[in-house]
Amino acid sequence: MTNLTISRRNFLKMSGAAVGALVVGQMLPAPIAKAAQEAGLLDENMTGYVTSMCEMCVWRCGLRAKIVEGRVVKLDGNPDHPHSRGKLCPRGQSGLMNTYDPDRVLTPLIRVGKRGEGKFRPASWDEALDLVASKMMAIKEKYGSEAMVFSSTHNLSQLQFENLLNAFGSPNYGTQRSLCFNAMIVGNLMTYGMEEPARDYSDTEYIILTGRNLVEAVSTSETGDLMAAIHRGAKMVYLDPRFTRTASKADLWLPIRPGTDLAFHLALLHVIIEEKLYDHDFVANHTVGFDKLVATVAPYTPEWAAAITELKATDIETVAREFAAAGNKALAHNGWRTSNFENSFQTARAIASLNALVGNWGTTLLPASGGHGGGALGLPPQPPYPRASATRLDGVPWKYPLVPFKLGVFQELRNAIISGKPYQAHGWFISRQNPVQSLPDRTRTLEAMGKMDFIVTVDIFLNDTAWFSDVVLPEASYLERYDPLHQIGNRVFIRQPVIEPQGDAKSALWIYKQLGERLGLGDYFQYIDEEDFIRQQLAPVGASLEELRKKGYLDLEEHEGEVDLFHWNTSSGKVELFSDVLDGAGFAPTAAWQEPPMPENGRFYLLTGKIAQHTQFATQNNQLLHKYQDEPRLWMNPKAAENLRLADNDIVRVTSDVGEVNIALNVTEAIRPDCVYMTPGFGHISKGFTTGYGVGASDSVLHVTYTDPISGGQALSQTFVTVQGI
Amino acid sequence: MSTHTTNGKYGFLIDVTHCIDCRACNVACSVQNEVSMDSTRIWMNGTGVVGKYPDLQSFTAPFHCMHCNDPSCASACTVGALTRDHDGIVRYDEDRCIGCRYCIYACPFQVPNMDLNETMPLIVKCDMCGDRLDEGEQPACAATCPPGAIQFGRREDMLAEANRLINENPGKYIHHIYGEHENGGTSTFYISPVPFEELGFPIPGATSSAYYNRLVTHGTPAVFGAAAVSLSGIYLTIKNVQEETAEEARAAVIRSAQAAESARAAERAAATEEEA
Repeated sequence: MTNLTISRRNFLKMSGAAVGALVVGQMLPAPIAKAAQEAGLLDENMTGYVTSMCEMCVWRCGLRAKIVEGRVVKLDGNPDHPHSRGKLCPRGQSGLMNTYDPDRVLTPLIRVGKRGEGKFRPASWDEALDLVASKMMAIKEKYGSEAMVFSSTHNLSQLQFENLLNAFGSPNYGTQRSLCFNAMIVGNLMTYGMEEPARDYSDTEYIILTGRNLVEAVSTSETGDLMAAIHRGAKMVYLDPRFTRTASKADLWLPIRPGTDLAFHLALLHVIIEEKLYDHDFVANHTVGFDKLVATVAPYTPEWAAAITELKATDIETVAREFAAAGNKALAHNGWRTSNFENSFQTARAIASLNALVGNWGTTLLPASGGHGGGALGLPPQPPYPRASATRLDGVPWKYPLVPFKLGVFQELRNAIISGKPYQAHGWFISRQNPVQSLPDRTRTLEAMGKMDFIVTVDIFLNDTAWFSDVVLPEASYLERYDPLHQIGNRVFIRQPVIEPQGDAKSALWIYKQLGERLGLGDYFQYIDEEDFIRQQLAPVGASLEELRKKGYLDLEEHEGEVDLFHWNTSSGKVELFSDVLDGAGFAPTAAWQEPPMPENGRFYLLTGKIAQHTQFATQNNQLLHKYQDEPRLWMNPKAAENLRLADNDIVRVTSDVGEVNIALNVTEAIRPDCVYMTPGFGHISKGFTTGYGVGASDSVLHVTYTDPISGGQALSQTFVTVQGI
Repeated sequence: MSTHTTNGKYGFLIDVTHCIDCRACNVACSVQNEVSMDSTRIWMNGTGVVGKYPDLQSFTAPFHCMHCNDPSCASACTVGALTRDHDGIVRYDEDRCIGCRYCIYACPFQVPNMDLNETMPLIVKCDMCGDRLDEGEQPACAATCPPGAIQFGRREDMLAEANRLINENPGKYIHHIYGEHENGGTSTFYISPVPFEELGFPIPGATSSAYYNRLVTHGTPAVFGAAAVSLSGIYLTIKNVQEETAEEARAAVIRSAQAAESARAAERAAATEEEA
């Protein structure tokens, strides 16, 4: 025990010493260090700075790693990168602990015990890759390509992950997006014809945040921009049943009843239209369906909304008038994980319509800068993909006609694996994702895994999903590998290794190529190695990898021709307050009221939401974040606690329709009396996480699966629970 | 009153209204300074959630070594392991430290701490990331603070900026720059919308115990020997810290804040006259 404590406490120091000794003992510098030396980034002692990109969340901040004798000792934000501007959040700062975590998986693993026993034996890459390829081929031959399910989460190597699954010919692709922001994205697509317009706070005077706890769910640049706007005097209105740190910075915190954000926004639309406070020119010239919106929102008075939201009608009226008065300097944030109720798609539509009414397009709301503008990066040549072998298991588009293929409906995919309808899946390829922790209803996720003949997981840790897998392929961490390039506007950024991969860890670019070749799909992976892949990306723009490595970014030439700011990629070319597409699919064509379910007596709304110290389900094992996190407890209002005769720090049992967990209680005024809250991501069941194992409880155990038929979003807050002392 | 007011070169300005409690400063500091998992150089202080639902407020602020102009810790240290350098940094020399912990008791801000799991525990405290300063970089906490709540620069600039922010934003901050007069003045300044007691900040007096220590050491015959001198210094240090009750301390701080405010008012009046 003592030894464990010492090694844990001094890990950062000791790893440095160990790696340093290793480097000194080598005759020649390792390949990455040698390349970095040749690029002039490191000196003869392998000391210096290398720029790259963070991957502790999906915001992709630029970073600058300080390297001393071949080990990374400090990460700072890259001042040249628009997402970091020289700063990193706590997760970004802790990134080297992620890489130097003693729990890293550093060699391929093949399961030897029963699934879930956690018994594995180390294997060579050749053996592990041959095994994975042979299992995948066997499934393909016996059941067809569609029997292999692929799932991965938003990351830079997703390009090649999708390449692998498309070349393999499977239509079944699960992303995390239906668990996150499908409602927001489909809402924007139906209104603005783009997934997510960009937000500009530089001139903003009035901000409404709905479902966006931006002060705690830190996106370094955007959180900084919001705080700067507040300090400049911008007014911020914040809707949340919890008094979060964002609420503490708000001019007006509205503790709205869960599921009723839609009623609030419909009433704002009502007041702004009723009192003719909207931007007449913008509405007349750049929107369609205003008259239909007028008719739809006519009944949604502030008094109507007050009864539903449990807010004051006067507050709703005031916000509507102030928002409209700010005009094009007002911004209703289009939200993030507003996929909390089945009506969240309507909420996203109402917010999108609200922005259109004040004509803030081009000032506070802008076309997304995206990754696809500017000059075109290249890709290695490859043949066309085979036709997908069957319809998708997740119901896109045959059950969910408006959900984009690349978003999908992950929770329904899981359900189809269990039901075996319309056909039975037999294999699951998972990369950098942890569905055991992320999908609602963990019992069912484990049941789905039980249906599988073969499961392979690519990760840097033995995460909860890897724990139940047959093969685990160890990926190099984000500080140890190249990824495909990342473009923001006209600027291209590189993720490059700042240190040697530890153990046998390999990049995703390498792993997918190796597998592709073993699957007879080598034509889809025509690159020699990671650097060759990036060189082929750079070829059309005439830039060198060496130049890019040194600076960390390169600027492409400006796009020829003017982009029309006031043309949208919708069927009408305008902002669609009324959508023909929605109408045609049989859904409400304008933002309209949809009643959310309510917990009956004695049950609570179960809320989840982010904290600044952790990203989803991936960082709870990080010792530095563990050091500075609050203990994950269940929040409950003192009134509710008194009724249940519960006290602070009591251990309670939380029960939903699908599961139960035990957790310590945090009695706090910072939550509505009809809600309880728990931080997502805790309650890991993999013993491969020695720091995170057993800490807190998992919200996924409790979440009931509810899917919005329009956006495919999982209604995360529609789960109701009872709480009792034990 | 004490007479010790040297101007350090560096200083912090921490704006409580900007802090979002994200703890990037905590993590950045731990990495930069290889702080063990069981000790810290920065704490997150705060009011907690105050009030009754739904009328609530909450403020937080990172808290680390104040870098006193006349550090009590340095005065209490019998071996010279703690010293204030020409940049205003109160530095710690672990090679000199004998682990006596006198500094822990002497510091009115309760800053020096140690990892008691270590066999030979050393003092853990902020040194303004001296290594980074040597490379022309800001301290790790200030460099990374996402909302820019921690500013770092020349001490007098930080103080001037604190005054400017208070004067130009009436009603936003209380009229108290924490660290300006506390313990005889420091190189770390805080501005806040709520009184510092509510944030859980220690409320020391306006005079450093180091001042009383000097009265003792200068007035004691050499025949008692260096050890006795140190011990009496320590005794008086602890006594002083204990005796200067929070009430007296607050009064002293408020007095000095009032004096500073009337000085600022006089300056403003003079400026107005000039303009007229």
